[in-house]
Amino acid sequence: MKLTKKKTALLLIAILGIIVTFWAYQHPLGKGTLAQVTQVQSVSHQAETDQYQNKDTQFEQRLTLRILNGSHQGQTYQVTNDYDASQLINQRYYHNQRVYVQVSHQGKANILTAKRDWVLILALTVTALILVAILAKKSWLILLSVTVNCLLFLVTLRLDIWRNGTATILLYSSAAIVFATVTFLIYQGWRRKMAIMLLSTIGALVIAFGLSYGIMRATNEQGITYMAVAYATQSPRSLFLGQTLLGVLGAVMDESTDIVTSLSELWQHNPQLTRRQLWHSGLTIGREIMGPLINVLFLIFMAAALPMTILYLRDNNTISYTFEYTLSLGVLQSLISAIGIVLTVPIATLASFLLRPLTKEAQAQ
Amino acid sequence: MSTMTALLLVLLVLIVLVGGTAGLKSYLSILINFCLIFMAAWLIAGGANIWLIAVIFIPLKLATIVYLGTNEQKLADQAFLSSLLVTVIIVLLILGLTWLGQAFGLGDQDDEDLIGLATAPGINYLLITALVAIFSTLGAISEAAVAMNAGLLELLRQTPTIEPAAYQRSAQQMGQDILGTAINTILFGFFGSNLALFIWYLRLNYRLNKLLNDKLFVQEALVLLESFIGVLLIVPLTTWLIGWWQNHAKNHQQKITADQTRPSQESREKK
Repeated sequence: MKLTKKKTALLLIAILGIIVTFWAYQHPLGKGTLAQVTQVQSVSHQAETDQYQNKDTQFEQRLTLRILNGSHQGQTYQVTNDYDASQLINQRYYHNQRVYVQVSHQGKANILTAKRDWVLILALTVTALILVAILAKKSWLILLSVTVNCLLFLVTLRLDIWRNGTATILLYSSAAIVFATVTFLIYQGWRRKMAIMLLSTIGALVIAFGLSYGIMRATNEQGITYMAVAYATQSPRSLFLGQTLLGVLGAVMDESTDIVTSLSELWQHNPQLTRRQLWHSGLTIGREIMGPLINVLFLIFMAAALPMTILYLRDNNTISYTFEYTLSLGVLQSLISAIGIVLTVPIATLASFLLRPLTKEAQAQ
Repeated sequence: MSTMTALLLVLLVLIVLVGGTAGLKSYLSILINFCLIFMAAWLIAGGANIWLIAVIFIPLKLATIVYLGTNEQKLADQAFLSSLLVTVIIVLLILGLTWLGQAFGLGDQDDEDLIGLATAPGINYLLITALVAIFSTLGAISEAAVAMNAGLLELLRQTPTIEPAAYQRSAQQMGQDILGTAINTILFGFFGSNLALFIWYLRLNYRLNKLLNDKLFVQEALVLLESFIGVLLIVPLTTWLIGWWQNHAKNHQQKITADQTRPSQESREKK
C-alpha cells in the first residue's frame, strides 16, 4: 500500500504521541519529585455518617512509594492515605500509579498530587489523529486557530490581572474584536466576505451585550448573586461580565459564518433575488441553527456547576438556595448568550446585503 | 422585577420576533433542558443510580435539542440517530479518560466553597464527573449532527443520483465548514466557562508542571478535548450513515422496480 501524505502524518502523530505519552507516564515534566506506588495495603474501612445523614465509607490504605528522581531517588517511603468511597476531595491510589511527592527533612513523604499530565497528552494525541484523519490538509487551519486563540486568551487574562478587574467591559470587548478578527482572518483570509462576517459578529455582540447590560442596570442587577462566582480572585462582577462576553463570541462567529456564507452562495446562484427574499432566506437559515446553538452554550455553562449543585441538594439545602448559589449565574450567562445568538440572525442577514457589489463584479467578469 | 425574569422575557420576545413558531420551540427546548439538568441533579442527590440517570437523561436531552431545534421530521430522526451513536462512543472515551486521569471530584480551589458542606456525601464522584463531561459535550454533538445531516439531506435532494465519490467529496467539504465553526463555539464556551479558574492559576503563578497535573485543570481540558472529538466524529459517522441509508433505499427501490418488470431486466440493471 502506498503511503499518502495523510497516512504518513497519521503514522507520525501516532508514533510520536505514544512515545511521549509513555515517556510522560514514567518521567516528571519539569521540576518535582516523582514516585511510583509499589505496594498497596488496605488497612481498614469504616462506615461514617455526617450531620446530614449522608452515609459513606472511609478507607485507609498504606502505600509504599519508591522515589523515581531527584536526591532521594531509589529510596522507599511508607505513606498512609485516607479516602472516602465518594472520592469527592480525596482519592484512592493504585498499584504502579505515579504520584508527585514532597519529602520532608524528617524523612517523611507526602503525596502532593497524582500524575495526570500523560493523560492530557494521550487525549491530545487521539484528538490530533481524528482531526487529521477527517480533515486532512485543512486540519492545520483549525490547529492554528485554536493555538492562536489560546495564546490571545492568555494575553487577555494577563491584561485583566494587570488592570486588576477594572475596565472589564472595555478590555473584554476589545479582546473580543481581536479574537474575531484573527479567527476570521485565519479561516476566511482578507476579503469582503470576511469583513462582512466580522461586522456582523461585532454588531451582534455590541447590540446584544448593550441590551443585556441595559436590562441589568434597569433592574438594578437585582437577584444576581455575584458572591456565587466560583474561584473569584478579583471583583466577581468583572469576572461575570468578562466570561459572558467571551463565552458567546464563538457561537456568534459560528452563526455569522453560516448565514453570510449561505446567503452569498444563494445570491451567486440567483443574482435576481430581491432584498426582501434575501431577508427571508436569512431568517429561515438562522432559525434552524439558533436553537441548537443556544443549547451548546447552555449545556457547557450549566454542566460545570453540576457537582456543586448535587452536593448542595445532598446536604438538604432548599431548591431555591441551591439554585441561587450554584446555577443562577450559569443561567444568566446562558440567557445573555442566547440574546446574542438570536440577534445575530437579523444582524448577519442585514450585513449580507453588503455582499451584492462583489457578486455583480463577479458576474461582469 | 429581577434581572433574570427581565432577561427571560426579553429573550422570549426576541426569539419569537426572529424565529416565529420555530423560535418558540427553541425557547421551549432551553427551558426543558434546564428542567432535565436540574432533575438529574436532584435525583442523583436523592441517591438515584447514576448509570440509570445517564441512560435515561442522555437520550432525553439529545431528543429535546434535536426535535425542538429542527423543523423537519426526517432531518430530526437522522440527526438524533447520529448524535446518539457518537454519544455512545464519547461516553466510553470519557469513562476511560476520567479513570486514567484520576481527575474527578472537586479541587483544592473549591475548598472555600466547601465550608459547611459534607465532604463525604456518599455519592460516587467519579461517575458524576464523567456525567458532567458527557452533558457538556451533548450540545455540541447534537448541533454538529443537525448541521451535517441538514447539509447532506439537502445535497441528496438536489442531486439524487450523485456518484459515491462525488458524495464523499461534498460531505468532506461540508464537514470542514461545520467543524471549523463548531470547534470555535466550543473553545470560546470553554473560555467563558473557565475564565475565573484561569485567572486563579495565573494569579497564583502555577508552574506548567503543577498546572498539567492539577485536578480541575485536567478535568476541564479533558472535557474540551472530548467535545472536540465528539463533533469531529459526527462528520464521518453521519456521512456513512446517510450514504448507507441512501444505498439501502436505492437497492430497495431497484428491487421493487425489478420485481414489477420482467426478470430479465434485473440482470441487465445490475450490470
